[in-house]
Amino acid sequence: MKKHETFADVISARGIERRDFIKYCSLIGTYLGLSAAMVPKIIFAMETKPRIPVIWLHGLECTCCSESFIRSAHPITADIVLNMISLDYDDTLSAAAGHQLEAVRKQIMKEYKGKYILAVEGNAPTKDNGVYCMIAGDSFTNVLKETAADAMAVIAWGSCASFGCVQNARPNPTGAQPVHKIIKNKPIVNVPGCPPIAEVMTGVIAHLLTFGKLPELDRLKRPKAFYGTRIHDQCTRRSFFDAGMFVESFADDGAQKGWCLYKMGCKGPTTFNSCAGIGWNEGVSYPIKSGHPCIGCSEPNFWDNGPFYTRLAEIPFVGTNSNADKIGMVAVGAAAAGMAAHAVGTVIKNKRSQAETTEKED
Amino acid sequence: MARLYEEQYVWRLPVRIYHWINAICITILFPTGLYIASPIFSPSIGEAVWYHQMAWIRYIHFGTAFVFLANFLFRLYWALFGNDRYARFAGFQPWKPIWWGQPFKDQLASYLFIRKDEPNYCGHNPVAALTHFLFVFCGSIFMLMTGLAMYGETNTGGFIDTLFGWVMLVFGSTHAMHTMHHLVAWLFPVYLILHIYAVVRHDIVDRSSTTSSIITGYKHRVEECPEYAD
Repeated sequence: MKKHETFADVISARGIERRDFIKYCSLIGTYLGLSAAMVPKIIFAMETKPRIPVIWLHGLECTCCSESFIRSAHPITADIVLNMISLDYDDTLSAAAGHQLEAVRKQIMKEYKGKYILAVEGNAPTKDNGVYCMIAGDSFTNVLKETAADAMAVIAWGSCASFGCVQNARPNPTGAQPVHKIIKNKPIVNVPGCPPIAEVMTGVIAHLLTFGKLPELDRLKRPKAFYGTRIHDQCTRRSFFDAGMFVESFADDGAQKGWCLYKMGCKGPTTFNSCAGIGWNEGVSYPIKSGHPCIGCSEPNFWDNGPFYTRLAEIPFVGTNSNADKIGMVAVGAAAAGMAAHAVGTVIKNKRSQAETTEKED
Repeated sequence: MARLYEEQYVWRLPVRIYHWINAICITILFPTGLYIASPIFSPSIGEAVWYHQMAWIRYIHFGTAFVFLANFLFRLYWALFGNDRYARFAGFQPWKPIWWGQPFKDQLASYLFIRKDEPNYCGHNPVAALTHFLFVFCGSIFMLMTGLAMYGETNTGGFIDTLFGWVMLVFGSTHAMHTMHHLVAWLFPVYLILHIYAVVRHDIVDRSSTTSSIITGYKHRVEECPEYAD
């Protein structure tokens, strides 16, 4: 195992020019929202700091995070970042398998106690002793707890690890819980998205490597640099929203002209992510730009905030056809009917008491 | 049969001003809020930059919300520190079992036609006080807290977001908070129906000028005077 190999060593061994290396460092600095003065710091860190060992666990998930990660916008970026870290254990990418691979994990945990990073993709089913996700004969919940115990920090990749995603959508049959519900005593960074943007993933790692600590996090433990703004506020179609020019159906004129997808159920106004800034697939586009409403995949419980194609969500526990307006109108109707009935009651009561008074007077 | 009227000054000026500003704010906030959720009008032809239709509706909604907030705080001050026996919170103590005692039961029984007589109060009767607390006080606080939390999201880390952004955690996600803001908004039209019905009914049954009292401030106690009978 190469213990003190730096990131710069790795890229020069791969024949990447220093010029390209500097370009990459400037790019990462920009993504992280750092000033130009910080770029030399990034370069310095990459040239001097030893690579961080990373254990990458897979729980209940679909591996879309890994797929995204290896498709970082600039071909060299993916390569560079994968080499920045020393990805020592990843049961999807490793050549070794079975007991051999598990031995590597144990070895890393011992050799780099308190110094390795635990990256978690997917989450842990907690019902029935975690039998719904078993790795090497043990439940994923136990593997996660065991591996996190000596980690420097935990990165929760994707919406599964960050918030639960589809596995813990109602009724959550396996009792799936996101990482922060299981690991309580370690610094955790949530990198939600289904999957997260590749540049966001590499950016988080670059930050960790450069500064030796997690980036600044918001209330939901997401890096502020990437999750500080709503997609809505950076949206390419925002002018159509403000103007009130909306797509009414996917086949109408507005859809062809690229108007706002708000009425098609776009969750951009309630989703914090950098899709509109960084973009997907080498920065080519992102869902709204391509004509599809945002489904809010990086938000907590996004499966339960549906349906995807209507603006008003279903109200939990009321029914699949409910929404706030339908319930509100029923309530207003009930109030009006109740008051009308009460008015009739009042009239009857008054008639009766008048009759009684007349009887007495007689 | 003649009647004796006794004038009673019940709603002082701050209370009346609060009431009407609040009424106007809600009248603006509710429809603009519904419009923001389901915008139905669309500008016909031209460039997006010519129009600010949605932007204006949102601007009106947010602007009115801040007036609503200031007005609410003003009323809160008056309820806590104002020298006004009909507008103070002092008498409203639902956490004490005694508050739910005979006066409350009698009023409720009367509304449910179990009792024949109609108890009469100068200010709010206990059932009315409870209704105002649930709909106007709790409802407004809910709408203000969620509203400010959503407003703060346009500038995360800013002043409003720092103060109210945590509200989102109660609902689990921003989207759930939007949905609940929308759902709870319907409390206000429901309340409006109850409120107007109760006011008009009291005016007719008690002949106490409840309706005009929120303009003039004066209610009237009415007594039948058989000795002046025609």
